[in-house]
Amino acid sequence: MTGGFLRALWRLTSVQGAWNYERMTGVGMGHAAEPLLEDLKSVDPVRYAEASVRAAEYFNSHPYLAGLALGALTRAEYDLVPGAQISRLRTALTSPLGALGDRLFWAGVVPAAMGVALLGVVAGHGLATIVAVLLLYNGLRVGTGIWALKTGLAHGMKVGNAIGDSWLPRVATPAGLVAGLVVGLAVPLAADWLLAPQGLEAMGVTVVTLLAGLGAAWRLGPRITAVKFGLVAIGLALILAWGLP
Amino acid sequence: MSQLSAGTFALLTAWGTLTGMDLVTFPQGLLSRPLIACAGAGLILGDIQTGLVVGVLLELFALDVLPVGASRYPDYGPGAVGAVVLTTGGPWEERLGIAALFALVLAVVGGWSLIWLRKSNGRMIHARAAGLAAGDPGTMTSIQLRGLAGDMIRSAGLTAVALLLAQAAQPYLPAGPRFALVTAAAIGAGVAAASGGAVRSAGRGPRLRWLVVGTGISLIAAVLT
Repeated sequence: MTGGFLRALWRLTSVQGAWNYERMTGVGMGHAAEPLLEDLKSVDPVRYAEASVRAAEYFNSHPYLAGLALGALTRAEYDLVPGAQISRLRTALTSPLGALGDRLFWAGVVPAAMGVALLGVVAGHGLATIVAVLLLYNGLRVGTGIWALKTGLAHGMKVGNAIGDSWLPRVATPAGLVAGLVVGLAVPLAADWLLAPQGLEAMGVTVVTLLAGLGAAWRLGPRITAVKFGLVAIGLALILAWGLP
Repeated sequence: MSQLSAGTFALLTAWGTLTGMDLVTFPQGLLSRPLIACAGAGLILGDIQTGLVVGVLLELFALDVLPVGASRYPDYGPGAVGAVVLTTGGPWEERLGIAALFALVLAVVGGWSLIWLRKSNGRMIHARAAGLAAGDPGTMTSIQLRGLAGDMIRSAGLTAVALLLAQAAQPYLPAGPRFALVTAAAIGAGVAAASGGAVRSAGRGPRLRWLVVGTGISLIAAVLT
């Protein structure tokens, strides 16, 4: 099983490669499981065939944490846990791994990283900051992937307890707080940086558009997305500018 | 800017393709973020400053979005690369708003193309159901590689369309100080998007307080500098 670790880790980087509405990342998980299950093929071919079918069934989680499930399910196959129990673990891991990963990465680390990158640009160190953010973020991403797969393989059916006792649930909340602070710092300074060469009239248009956007978000909620509002606001401004003498 | 050379066009297409794929399939390493996509395009064009300016504005819009699971979200990368091309060669103060509009339209088209790709992957899985039911690793590899290839084609096509449209539109871009007001409206919309997203993510808990503290410090710094 250890020989396939790196190949499985590499395949996990594209676990969403064939994402679809029926199995979601299921086939990606099956593809990533194959190097880990190779040793089982020679020992117990029947079990290997059953495990391969199970490995590609419906699954969805945060992509960076999929290794936790992959490792745990593979270990369970080697431990000859009954198939129905393995399928139940697979289903049980879907929501928590999705929710944890979304909170930690999509709502925490990513906005914090992009906020830092915005601050770097505003401070005049754009390229250096972007390179540093990319290196740090991807270092964290790769490190998390290795940890996830190792933890899953080490704990098998008891992976739920291992996740609960790990650093993962503990850092999600602080990451969110840092993201809030950094985004709060970055957005006004980024706007100020973009508006610096513009006149007072432009600043007035920005403030009016901002207030209209916040008002629309308050009144319409999720029915008005950032893109929809942007298209309407910029489109209207373009029509008005065309009509100006 | 004059017409892109074949080499530059190819490099921008390759970069845009990578940013498009990065959103969902591979490698999901922040390359699809507009600020990164635009900085890369600026580097390729030899105009990093324009890349950063376009990237900062589009990043404000992207801060509103959480690319969660099966939800529909815009694909900013390829359009952002095209927007940098559209902005270069003239005063960005007059072009940035139009470039943002261009990038947002392409981001929506990119989002639709992702839905199409997901349905196409579903059809491919149906066609290979027997192999999957037998647990055949070759079938899984084939589906996975075709899915990745599909996303590569989708992203490359979107980038090529963005670059061709940007090149075609560039000579006809309206000019004059009044178009700086379009840029100003785009900045306002971007700040509204980022603020709305930040408040929604913060909820009513301590994260909201941290957001308010950050915004307060930032506003003071903006006034003082």
